[in-house]
Amino acid sequence: MFGFEAIAHHNGWSMAVAGASIVLSGLAILSFIISQLHKVVELTEKRVSKDSARGEIDDPSETPATILVPDHCPTDLTATAQVYKTLTVDLGQKFQLIELYALAKQRKFPHPHLDIRCLREAGLLMPLGDGEFKLTD
Amino acid sequence: MELLFQFLSNTGYYLADYRHVIMLIVGIVFVYLAIAKEYEPLLLLPIGFGIIVGNIPFFKGFGIGIYEANSVLHYLYFGVTTGLYPSIVFLGLGAMTDFSSLLGNPKLMLLGAAAQMGIFFTLLSALGLGFLPNEASSIAIIGGADGPTSIFLTAKLAPELIGPIAIAAYSYMALIPIIQPPIMKLITTKEERRIKMPELRKVSKKELLFFPVVGVVLCCFLAPASIPLLGPFFFGNLMKESGVVDRLAQTARTAIVDTATIFLGFTVGASTQGDVFLNGRSVGIFALGAVAFSIATASGLIFAKIMNLFLKNKINPLLGAAGVSAVPGSAREVHLMGLKSDPSNYLLMHAMACNSSGVIGSAICAGILWSFNIG
Repeated sequence: MFGFEAIAHHNGWSMAVAGASIVLSGLAILSFIISQLHKVVELTEKRVSKDSARGEIDDPSETPATILVPDHCPTDLTATAQVYKTLTVDLGQKFQLIELYALAKQRKFPHPHLDIRCLREAGLLMPLGDGEFKLTD
Repeated sequence: MELLFQFLSNTGYYLADYRHVIMLIVGIVFVYLAIAKEYEPLLLLPIGFGIIVGNIPFFKGFGIGIYEANSVLHYLYFGVTTGLYPSIVFLGLGAMTDFSSLLGNPKLMLLGAAAQMGIFFTLLSALGLGFLPNEASSIAIIGGADGPTSIFLTAKLAPELIGPIAIAAYSYMALIPIIQPPIMKLITTKEERRIKMPELRKVSKKELLFFPVVGVVLCCFLAPASIPLLGPFFFGNLMKESGVVDRLAQTARTAIVDTATIFLGFTVGASTQGDVFLNGRSVGIFALGAVAFSIATASGLIFAKIMNLFLKNKINPLLGAAGVSAVPGSAREVHLMGLKSDPSNYLLMHAMACNSSGVIGSAICAGILWSFNIG
């Protein structure tokens, strides 16, 4: 048995439609829930900080502070920024990230992609628009 | 003299036929591709060498071959037939995965789901070509572009096809740089490829801690048959994010996953013998694998374009191709394609979000297909 006859005989159409619908709807629901996760976290943190203002926290060592990711960034980002600043002698004050990355790789800097990402997220690598960036002083 | 002839008649030289020779050449080609071309070396090298070892002819009945009880290879193969190695590999994968980019833009998860349509299209194609439902499901999961998932499901549904399906899955994963770019160029326009994605929202530590718990409950309640894969996956991720069991997380993503990968690849290769591999069905499996990867890529891209009809802030449709869960190959190809269109367009982190969602999606699909074929 081949072709459409074989597909119909083995319930292929219903398996395909049901399977596709299940995986799409399942991930859509998961996507919706995780989009609301940060609101739930903010709500719990607000409650904790309200309680601490009233002095009702059970465990005073708990802090509601949010720890930002990534957590694998270099511990001293300022020192990293100073190292990358040496590249601006060749690149100029304004440069594109691809140029910074290429020069960092050429000079055999370890983990240039991670460093550039961490510098951007810490605000030490500022966008100037039109794809150009500069390192803050 | 008689003893000498008896010995010689038990050697591989005497027992070899053309199928052994062909499979040895296939194994050597895989080893070459892994070392010289660096095509997925972590898998192709163990698989290639396993094919060489598994196709050395021997006198059956002495407990040597992988299919003979009490042989060393048979004991090692236990991890494949029971689905143990794929579960361990998923534990390590979870301990390596950073979900911050996915949590920062959760709608990218839908692209990971869309890319799994390749699985169901291939299911229909395989049934149409005359494969039985359990075989068709095992072939279809190649479209998930996830080696351990393919091996896991095939071990449960059609263990005799583990060899060709694993080799097809890993071969096409290695060929992602050849398969995906033409499809990406065909389906997207230059303007669409230049769309810049907004900065990802900063994600808190608590969100990263909640996600594996929420994810495992939601996904495994939906498809309980995916528990052996998604359970260890989210557990590994929770170990990584908790920060209190760094030693365990480190071991999971290094020693444990590497050990499982070695034995998985080696025994899958050794189980791929000429009589199973060198026939028309294997050709069909390879052809369907190509279809699966292509449809998966195309469906992710098309879904992204459909999403853009409804979104105010458009997403770059190239990210749909990263929903194919060949981590990190498809994410890298999407990033490179984005850079070609606009050198300042960095799509890697967004593509990794789609990639990790694709891993979850393909594991759910495996659970769904397993459920459909039980009984």
